[in-house]
Amino acid sequence: MYIRIAEKVMENPETVTLYFSYEFPSVPGQFVMVDVPGKEEIPVSLSSESSITVKAVGDTTQKMLNLGKGTIVGIRGPYGNGFKAVEGNKLVVGGGIGIAPLRYLVRWLERDIDVVYGVKTVKEFIFFEELRAKNVVFITENGSFGEKGTVIDILESMDLGKYDQIYVCGPEMMIASILNLFEREKILPLTQISVERYMKCGIGICGSCCIDPFGLRVCVEGPVFNGEILKNSEIGKYHRNGSGRKYVWKN
Amino acid sequence: MLEVRIGDMVLENPTVLASGIMGTTVSSLNRIARVAGGVVTKSVTSEPREGFKNPTVVNVNCGILNAVGLSNPSAKLFAQELERYNGEAPLIVSLAGSEEEIPELVSFFPMAQGFELNLSCPHVGSMGAELGSDPELVENICRRVKKRTSKPIFVKLSPNVTDIVEIGRGAERGGADGVVAINTLRAMVIDVEAGKPILSNRIGGLSGKAIKPVAVRCVYELFETLKIPVIGCGGIITWRDAVEFLMAGASAVQIGSGVFYGTSIFKSVIEGIKDFLVRKNLSLEDVIGMAHRN
Ligand SMILES: Cc1cc2nc3c(=O)[nH]c(=O)nc-3n(C[C@H](O)[C@H](O)[C@H](O)COP(=O)(O)OP(=O)(O)OC[C@H]3O[C@@H](n4cnc5c(N)ncnc54)[C@H](O)[C@@H]3O)c2cc1C
Ligand SMILES: Cc1cc2nc3c(=O)[nH]c(=O)nc-3n(C[C@H](O)[C@H](O)[C@H](O)COP(=O)(O)O)c2cc1C
Ligand code: FES
Repeated sequence: MYIRIAEKVMENPETVTLYFSYEFPSVPGQFVMVDVPGKEEIPVSLSSESSITVKAVGDTTQKMLNLGKGTIVGIRGPYGNGFKAVEGNKLVVGGGIGIAPLRYLVRWLERDIDVVYGVKTVKEFIFFEELRAKNVVFITENGSFGEKGTVIDILESMDLGKYDQIYVCGPEMMIASILNLFEREKILPLTQISVERYMKCGIGICGSCCIDPFGLRVCVEGPVFNGEILKNSEIGKYHRNGSGRKYVWKN
Repeated sequence: MLEVRIGDMVLENPTVLASGIMGTTVSSLNRIARVAGGVVTKSVTSEPREGFKNPTVVNVNCGILNAVGLSNPSAKLFAQELERYNGEAPLIVSLAGSEEEIPELVSFFPMAQGFELNLSCPHVGSMGAELGSDPELVENICRRVKKRTSKPIFVKLSPNVTDIVEIGRGAERGGADGVVAINTLRAMVIDVEAGKPILSNRIGGLSGKAIKPVAVRCVYELFETLKIPVIGCGGIITWRDAVEFLMAGASAVQIGSGVFYGTSIFKSVIEGIKDFLVRKNLSLEDVIGMAHRN
C-alpha cells in the first residue's frame, strides 16, 4: 500500500512522528513495514491508528526524519499480535522510544492506567503534554526532570501487586531487568511485553525474527509476549542480525 | 498410513518444510519438525552472507516475491546452531555455493540426514541459477557430493530453464537420490509511485499460489522420465494442492510460502490427505503418479 505523509511532527531533534490520512485497522502493539524511498524497509510500531514515531539510530531512520509532508511511502501491514486489553488496574511501563506503541496503547485502554516512563535526559521525552494528562511518573537518569534514576529503580519502589496487568516496551536491557524483577515479584503471568528482532518478511516465513528456545516469530506470535515466555528465552541474552548470526548483548 | 520412503530416508508423512522458510534458527526448525514429515534448512554457504537489503520480501495478489539473497551465518556457525536439533523428523541441510564449495560443506553437518543442493536460487548470480541450468555441471556436482557422503542427496531444480527434465537427468546421472521441483520463478514488481522495482535486488523469485500449475507440470514431466523420486514444491496451501502434486508423481511435497497462513498448515494438509485416502479408499502409493495412469 502507498500512503502519503499527511503531517509531520518533530517530537525532539532526533524523533519524528509521521501522520497518514489513513487509519490502519489495528490494535496497539502492532507494527508496519515501512519502505523508505532510497533506503531500507524497516519495522515500526504504530504510535496511533494513523501514525508512526521513529527515533533516528541509523541510515534509514535518519532519512525518515527528513521526509517531507506529502512524501509517499510504501507500507505493508499492520502485522503482529498487538496488546490485549484487560479489565482492572493497568500499569504501562515505557523506556526511551519504547513509548511509541505505548502512546497508542494508553489512548486505547482509556482508563484505570498508571504510566511509568523513563528516559536518559529531559530532552528525550515525547508525547509529553498528552501523557501529562494521565497518571504518569516521569523519570530521567540524570534527574533533569521528574524522578531521578531508572525505570527499574522506580518499579522496585512501587507496589506492583495492585495491578491486574502490566504492559512494557523499551530497550532490551531494561526488559531483561524487568523480567528479573517480575519473576521475583511472581507477576510474570500478568505481563505483556513488546520485543524487537531483526525482520525481513514481517509475515512469518523468512524466520529471521525467531526467538529461542521455542522458535516463536516476533512478527507473528509477537511482538507482544507474555513475560513468562520471555523469561526463559534469548531475550536479554543475545539476538541475531540479518545473516542469522548471534550477537551477545553487551552490558 | 502416510509414511513415505525416499532412498533410505523415512518420512512419517509426506509434508516437508521448504528451504528458506523458518529455517534460520534451530528452534524454528524444531518447532516445525514436531508436525512435518521432514524439514529443510535455509541454504548455507561457506562464507557468511548478509543477503540483500530490505525490502527482501513482498506479497503480491497471487503469491510472494523474495530476494533474500541466501543470507546465512556460514556453514560453520550454522552447524553449531543445528547441534540442538531435536531429531523429531529427518533434517535435510540445504547447501549452496560454487561447484567447488558445495562438496566441502557436507562435512560440517554430521546431524543432517540428507542434503539438498540448491542449484537454483534465481536471484544470486554466480551461485545457483547458473549452475542449475547446465545438466553436465549438475551431474558433476552430484558426483562430487556423493563422494563425500552416503546420505541421500536431492537436487533442487529451477523452473527458469528451457527443459527442466534435462537438468533432472543430469542429477540422476550424477547419483542424486531425488529431485525437488521447483524453486521460485524469476519475477519483478514495480513501485509505480517511485517508478522503480520494489525489491532492493530488483529481481526476485515468485512463490505461492501463482506458481502451482507450473510446479505441477514440472513434477509431471520429471516423473515421466526419471527413475529417482521427485519431491513437489510450489504453491501448496491446502491438502488438495498436495494431492495434486502426488498425482503428478511427487513422492512427498514441500511447503514454503503456505506457512504464511500459519504453521498449522502442515497438520491441516496431513489430515486432509488422510481423509482423502479414506474417502477414496486409496493408499498413498495409489495416488502417487495417478495422473499418469488415468
Ligand atoms: C516490531 C518492531 C517495532 C519497532 N518499532 C519502532 C518504533 O516504533 N520506533 C522506532 O524508532 N523504532 C522501532 N523499531 C526499531 C527500528 O526498526 C530500527 O531502529 C530500524 O530498523 C533501524 O534502521 P536504521 O537503518 O536506521 O539503522 P541501522 O543502523 O540499520 O540499524 C540500527 C539497529 O536497528 C536494528 N535494525 C536494523 N534493521 C532492522 C530490521 N530490518 N528489523 C529490526 N531491527 C532492525 C538493528 O538492531 C540495528 O543494530 C522497531 C523494531 C521492531 C522489530
Ligand atoms: C522467503 C523465501 C526464502 C527462500 N529461501 C530459499 C533458500 O534459501 N533455498 C532454497 O532452495 N529455496 C528457497 N526458497 C524457495 C522455497 O524453498 C520454495 O522452493 C519456493 O518458495 C516455492 O514453494 P512455495 O510456493 O511453497 O513457497 C525461498 C522461498 C521464500 C519465499
Ligand atoms: S520477519 Fe520473517 S518470519 Fe518474522
